[in-house]
Parts: sequence; structure tokens; C-alpha cells
Amino acid sequence: MTLTDMEGAATLDTRVAAPVSHRRRRVVGLAAALVALMVLTVLSVMVGSKAIPVAVIWDALFDPSPDADQFAVRDYRLPRTIVGLAVGIALGLSGALIQALTRNPLADPGILGVHAGASFAVTLAVGWLGVRDIQGYMWFAFAGALLVTLMVLALGATRQGSSPVVMVLAGVCLGAVLGGAREALQLTDPEAFDAMRNWNAGSIAGRPLELLWPILPFFALALVLTFVVAGPLNAMALGDELAAAQGVQLARTRVLAIIALTLLAGGATAIAGPIGFVGLMVPHVARWIVGPHQRWIFAYSLLLAPSLLLVSDILGRVVLRPGEIQVGIVTAFVGAPVLIALVRRKKASGL
Amino acid sequence: MTTTPLRRRGAVLAAALLSTALVLTACGDGDDEDDTGDATAETRSVTAENGTIEIPADPQRIVTIGNTTMPFIDLGGEPVGVTEASASELVSIPAEQKAAYEGAVNVGSEEIDLEKLASLEPDLILVQFHSSDWDEVGTQLESVAPTVYWGLDIEWKAFADAIAEAGNLTEGLNEQKAEFEEKVTGIQEEYGEIIDGTSFVDVSRGDWNDPGTFYIADIGCSEIARDDLGLDLPEAAEGEDPLAYTNLPFEQLSSLAEYDVITYPVDAEGHPTEPFQAVTQTSTWKALPAVTDGRALGVFCSGNNSYGPVLQYLDSLDSALASLQAKE
Repeated sequence: MTLTDMEGAATLDTRVAAPVSHRRRRVVGLAAALVALMVLTVLSVMVGSKAIPVAVIWDALFDPSPDADQFAVRDYRLPRTIVGLAVGIALGLSGALIQALTRNPLADPGILGVHAGASFAVTLAVGWLGVRDIQGYMWFAFAGALLVTLMVLALGATRQGSSPVVMVLAGVCLGAVLGGAREALQLTDPEAFDAMRNWNAGSIAGRPLELLWPILPFFALALVLTFVVAGPLNAMALGDELAAAQGVQLARTRVLAIIALTLLAGGATAIAGPIGFVGLMVPHVARWIVGPHQRWIFAYSLLLAPSLLLVSDILGRVVLRPGEIQVGIVTAFVGAPVLIALVRRKKASGL
Repeated sequence: MTTTPLRRRGAVLAAALLSTALVLTACGDGDDEDDTGDATAETRSVTAENGTIEIPADPQRIVTIGNTTMPFIDLGGEPVGVTEASASELVSIPAEQKAAYEGAVNVGSEEIDLEKLASLEPDLILVQFHSSDWDEVGTQLESVAPTVYWGLDIEWKAFADAIAEAGNLTEGLNEQKAEFEEKVTGIQEEYGEIIDGTSFVDVSRGDWNDPGTFYIADIGCSEIARDDLGLDLPEAAEGEDPLAYTNLPFEQLSSLAEYDVITYPVDAEGHPTEPFQAVTQTSTWKALPAVTDGRALGVFCSGNNSYGPVLQYLDSLDSALASLQAKE
């Protein structure tokens, strides 16, 4: 950790002394990311399995009438786009949080067992309680994610303070145990497994907005928490001792960060199913662009993650027309080449 | 315990979805056999997927396994042992068939209890399920009694012929065949004009479908409407997968406007099936011209694996077409 600490300290120094142009570049980059996200949002409403003329889409939004195509835009594409934005933001932020928290660029929200907890709870709901629709098992997923994180927090707090290493280990262990139990359940009830196959792949299609509304307050709370802990997390990148010397309350920061990332990742997983890769890749890219500054990383992740999700979803709608591919399958196809290109271009960013 | 896993539920689903995929290749299976040739002998031979099998000329103690149970009972057979049928298969069968099913010993649902099976001392075992299941238990079944096995890709008519032949139930089969022919001709005569001048599409949705998706059902019951009755229903291009394999997103519902009549699945009481209710509740569905004009018709199809359910389907289609005729 000493080497990383020194590197971190060196980066911090350059950041403090960063010229104004550096800051301007970040702002311009952020504006560009925002424009890209807006373009993708518009595209996501315009492009779909069925070719609907632009005029009809315009009317659907601004001059609504009871026409089948207009309903298609209002009832499917618009909610899907909004769900994609919310889920993307949540995944990106939770990824940035877990990477900052564990000081590990390979961490993704799943490492604390969020996905495993959500999947296990959904399997229980589908297999034992006969819940068949997403409205029903969404809350199981959310509760499963929260419960597992609470267990991870409790296990991680056994030493003096709370150790990110112990928490990650606890998360990985719980994830493995729950994963095994889930598979055992699914093998005994293949029909139930069939019913939740789509949720497992990760998709934002067919989710009405009524699913999203109750989750949004949790996202809002998590968003506030995220920016509250951004400063302390910056300090903690230097190492626990230095951060403590700067007056950072380590345990409190970690707990707040974990609550935030669980609400984000748990909520996103509840709505869309476990979508991997977005939370892993986007904070990486953000860190390459802005360097080790958490507020900027969070801000960039906030815009880049929904962009990745929307572009993947749009691709998933057109490549197999008239059928579709779930976004969870496409994100890796879209994201992996980008990540590989970045890894080859520059040395991987440390934390 | 000599139990062996049996992926029967999966097999039922696969049968419903896949059995008709290879109709062409399965044509003619078993229906050119001549079982009267050695009527004097104790046994006769039938040919099925596991080769040519010597079976008793008039088998008395038959055990049906996998998808053979309901078609065998449908032909008037009374098995001594069965594997568990799914609830959906049992829901709309006549009382005497239900009695025949309940009168048989259950030799397993997920797994076949081979000891129980052997204790029934069957003189014939009829099997249809996935070939991987057959690979696991086939030889064990054959060691208990003569066993006739069919895979999932046999066409339903050929399957009925083959079961009737093996189980010595040709009388029941001939009655059903005659009834089928009569119904088909009746519908064609009664609704000739509608059949010629109307484009149909059969849409459906199963609980295995992703949320927000449906499919165009070109396999299953509507295949009978298309191929036997001559209804103008969409069909996949030669060599392509059936249309039903593609999950269409709900926004594609609006493309159904190009068809004159839409048929969709209902239960025995005439309500849309539970998975399909997700479709009927959408505004897109409600805005379709066929729906607003009353040209979206519910049709009941409990199965397409034997004549009994198919005849029920034809009756249901008959009343749907009658309601169309009444509108004109």
C-alpha cells in the first residue's frame, strides 16, 4: 500500500497545482458527455424494433392521439429510456463508489454480494412463493441486496473499525454461498428458472414506469450520500492513516458509501436484473479522463454509464430485428472493446 | 434406489414448442406398418425411434411415460402405470379420461421409479421424451418390458398412428380420425368464403416470454388451421426458424394492423390466458383496428399432441369463425 499511497500523494499534489486549463478540459469533457447522453436519449426514443416515422414520434410526445404506433412510443420506448437513464446512473455511481471504497480498480458492485443477494431473493420468490411477474419479485431483489450488504457490513465490522478487505472477502464468500444455494433451487425447479431467465440476463424492456417511481427516492438519497462521501473518499485514497490525520471519519464514510452503493446497485438490479460491466468499466473510463478526483469521477460516471446502457440497448433493438437482445448481454459486447482499447493506450489508472 | 432423472416438464414445454419444427422429416413414421401380418403369432413387431421392437400382439399391461400418457388415454387406452401429467394437460379432458389417468399407478413425475414400474409387470412401455432422457433410462426400461420410444420431433398425427398401432387401439384412432376429417370438411364448407378472403394471424405469449414481448404463433394449433383448414396464416420462410421462436417487443403489436383477423389464446372459460393478459391490457392492443371491430378472437387450444385436444381446438375455432360470419 505504501507505493500506492506515494503515487496517490503525488497525483494529489499535481491536482492541487493543476492549471486552469486542466479544469476547463474537465468541464468541456463533461459538457460533451452530457450532449452525447442527450443525443442517445433522443435516439432511444426514435429507434426500435418497429420503424416508426419521426412525425408519429413527435405527435406521440407533443400531440398525443390514440394511435397504436403512438402508444408504442409512449408506453414502451419512453419508459424504457427513462428506466435506462435511471439504471445507468445508478450502476455507474455504484461502480465508482465501490472502486473508491476498496481502492481496487477491478471492484464492481457485485463484489459485496449485491447481485448474489438480489438473485437469491428473486429465486426464492419465483421458486417457493410462485411470484411470476417483475412487479412482484422486484422488491425481493431489493430486499435481498440490502440484507446481504447488511451482513457484509456486520462481518466487516468485527475487527477494529471496518476493514474494506474483510468486507470484500465477506461479500465474495456470501456471494459464493448464495450463488450455490440459488443454483440448487433452480435445478429443482426448472420451470421457475425459465420464468426468471430474462431477469437474470438483465433487461430494461417491458418495465413500466410504475416500477421505477418507488425506487427513485432511494436513488435520490444515495445520490446525496455519494457526493457527501466524495471528499472523504478522496482523502482515503491516500491511505487510512493520512485520511484519519486529515480528520476523516473512516468508519462513518465507509458505512455511508456502502449504504449509497447498495441502494444504487440494489435498486438498479431490482428493476433491470444483474447488469454487469457498466459499474466496472465506466468509473475506469471516468478516472482516465479526470484523474483521481472523486467528485469528477462521480460526475462523469453519472453521464457515461447511462450512455453506455442506452447505446447498448439501442444496439440490442436493431441487430436482431424484429427480435431484441437484452441490454445486459450487449453491454459487455459494447464496453469490452472500449475498455481494451483504453487499457492498451495508457497504463491502467491506479487509485 | 433405482430412480432416474426425467426432465419431463422441460420435455412437455419442448414438445409444445418444438415438436412441430421437424414435421417434414417425421412424416410417415410408423404409419406404413402392417400389424395384421402375423396375427396368429404371440407377438408383432413395430418400428420406432429405438428400432424394430417385438411387442405382444394384444398388450394388456401398458405403462406410458413422458408425453405418451395423454395421447394414449385420448385414444381410449387404459394404462396400468403413468408418469405424472401436467395440470394444464388434465384441465380440459373428459371425465372418463381423467378416471383412466387417475386409475393408473403413478411411477414418477420428475424421476421414474424403476422398481415401482417393474412391480407393475408391464407387457409394454410407451415412451416419448427428450433423447437425452432416453439415453439415460432407455436400456433400463427395455430390461423391464418391450419398450417403444419416440423422440420429440414426431408429428402429432404420425404420433397418434404410432401409439394406436403399438397399443392396439386402432379402433379409437379411426373414430377420432373420422371425426377430425368431418370437422375439417365442415369448417371448410361453412366458412369457405371467410377462409379464402381473410388474412389471419395467431399471436400468443407464454410465461417463459420476456416481459413486454409476445410471439406470432405459427406452430402449435394454428399450424392445423393453416395446413389442414387452409386459413391464410403467416408462416416462416422455408428453412428458417418458426416465427414463434422470435420474441417480439410490444411495439410490434401495432404491425398486427395489417391482418384482418387476430386470434389469441384463451382458457376453457374464454378468458385470455394469464400470460397473454399482459398483451390485452396494453393500449397498443386496444387501439388495433381488429380489436376495436371485434375481429380479435380468442381460441382455446389445450394441446396439439393428439386428436382429442385438436378436436376441441377445432370446435373453438369453429365458433370464432361463426362470430366473424355473423358480423358480415
